[in-house]
Amino acid sequence: LVVVLSPLPRLRGLLQRCWGRLERGLLSGLFGSQSPPLGPALAVQAPVCLPQQVNDTGESSEAPSLLDSILWMAAPKKRRTIEVNRCRRRNPRNLIKVKTNIDVCPECGNLKQKHVLCGYCYAKVKAETRLIRMEIGKKEGGPLNAPPVETVVLYDGEKPTEKDEGKRIIERARKRPSWFVQD
Amino acid sequence: AGSACVRGLLGWARPERWLPSSTVSPLSCIHTSSSLPTVGKWEKKNRIVYPPQLPGEPRRPAEIYHCRREIKYSKDKMWYLAKLIKGMSIDQALAQLEFSDKKGAKVIKEVLLEAQEMAVRNHNVEFKSNLHIAQSLTGRGRYMKRIRYHGKGMYGIMKIVRCHYFVKLVEGPPPPPEPQKTGYDQAKEYVQQLRSRTLINTL
Repeated sequence: LVVVLSPLPRLRGLLQRCWGRLERGLLSGLFGSQSPPLGPALAVQAPVCLPQQVNDTGESSEAPSLLDSILWMAAPKKRRTIEVNRCRRRNPRNLIKVKTNIDVCPECGNLKQKHVLCGYCYAKVKAETRLIRMEIGKKEGGPLNAPPVETVVLYDGEKPTEKDEGKRIIERARKRPSWFVQD
Repeated sequence: AGSACVRGLLGWARPERWLPSSTVSPLSCIHTSSSLPTVGKWEKKNRIVYPPQLPGEPRRPAEIYHCRREIKYSKDKMWYLAKLIKGMSIDQALAQLEFSDKKGAKVIKEVLLEAQEMAVRNHNVEFKSNLHIAQSLTGRGRYMKRIRYHGKGMYGIMKIVRCHYFVKLVEGPPPPPEPQKTGYDQAKEYVQQLRSRTLINTL
């Protein structure tokens, strides 16, 4: 049974009344000694059937069965008042603590946590790395084609030095960023 | 009944919400979610105009009221963030919210930045850092009830919660935090109260 709540309140009220009537019809008719009647799963702490039945079935022979142990389940005895609820929700243990480990990044001036990399600088480096990787992808042409040599990234107007003899060279068509130091 | 039905339908549907705020067509300036059928009380607080101050009076600090309605978040969870930034300067509040892991932190940060922008543009605030948060509150938005399906044909009714967030920025440095009341202070007050008792209807 799928009950869909439409936004119109009158239709919703009608559906709720239909559902109630259906429930009452089910309860009154058939389920005496059978399994507990199906209903909303709002409070299932004890079986709906009578306790005498439990005594009849499980009294003599076996140890505390599942039916007995259901009756020992923990359940709230009284409603928690709003005053008690407020005391629990507002005590300093549950409030959010003020963080004292926030600093200013010396490079870009944004805020950063002391033990974490600056988000802005990291994003900046990540973008540039992504473009370099795209260039590498274009040069290799496919997966699993990485040559067994080192890679060197050269920007506008830079020539490979004698140190970069056997290395693979990746060209990037822009000025060298200040944070990417050349060896 | 038909008219009530139609009004209910319109109240729920709200076709102006479906289109984004920046619609392209220049001819039809469609009013979008910014113009609600009723303006809230918090938004009206920005409209009050005080009479001009007399020459001797101290300068009245600028107050900026801003809010965001129908945020998809719980008002109880939002309250913790509102409590965190109550009484802080705006820079400190933005720093705390930036590194908070909660979903509402992002929303509140946007609200604060909007309010700061409004302050500088419309409310004659000179320095955007010279603001502090005088009040920050949460309120309950409109809830929707839906069915949550459990096993064995059981069902529960769940509430889809939304909240409003209100903030009042005041120009000037944040007020110094009042000193915590110690046990000694409370005892002293109690003794003072006992000492100031008098006998009535006597000499």
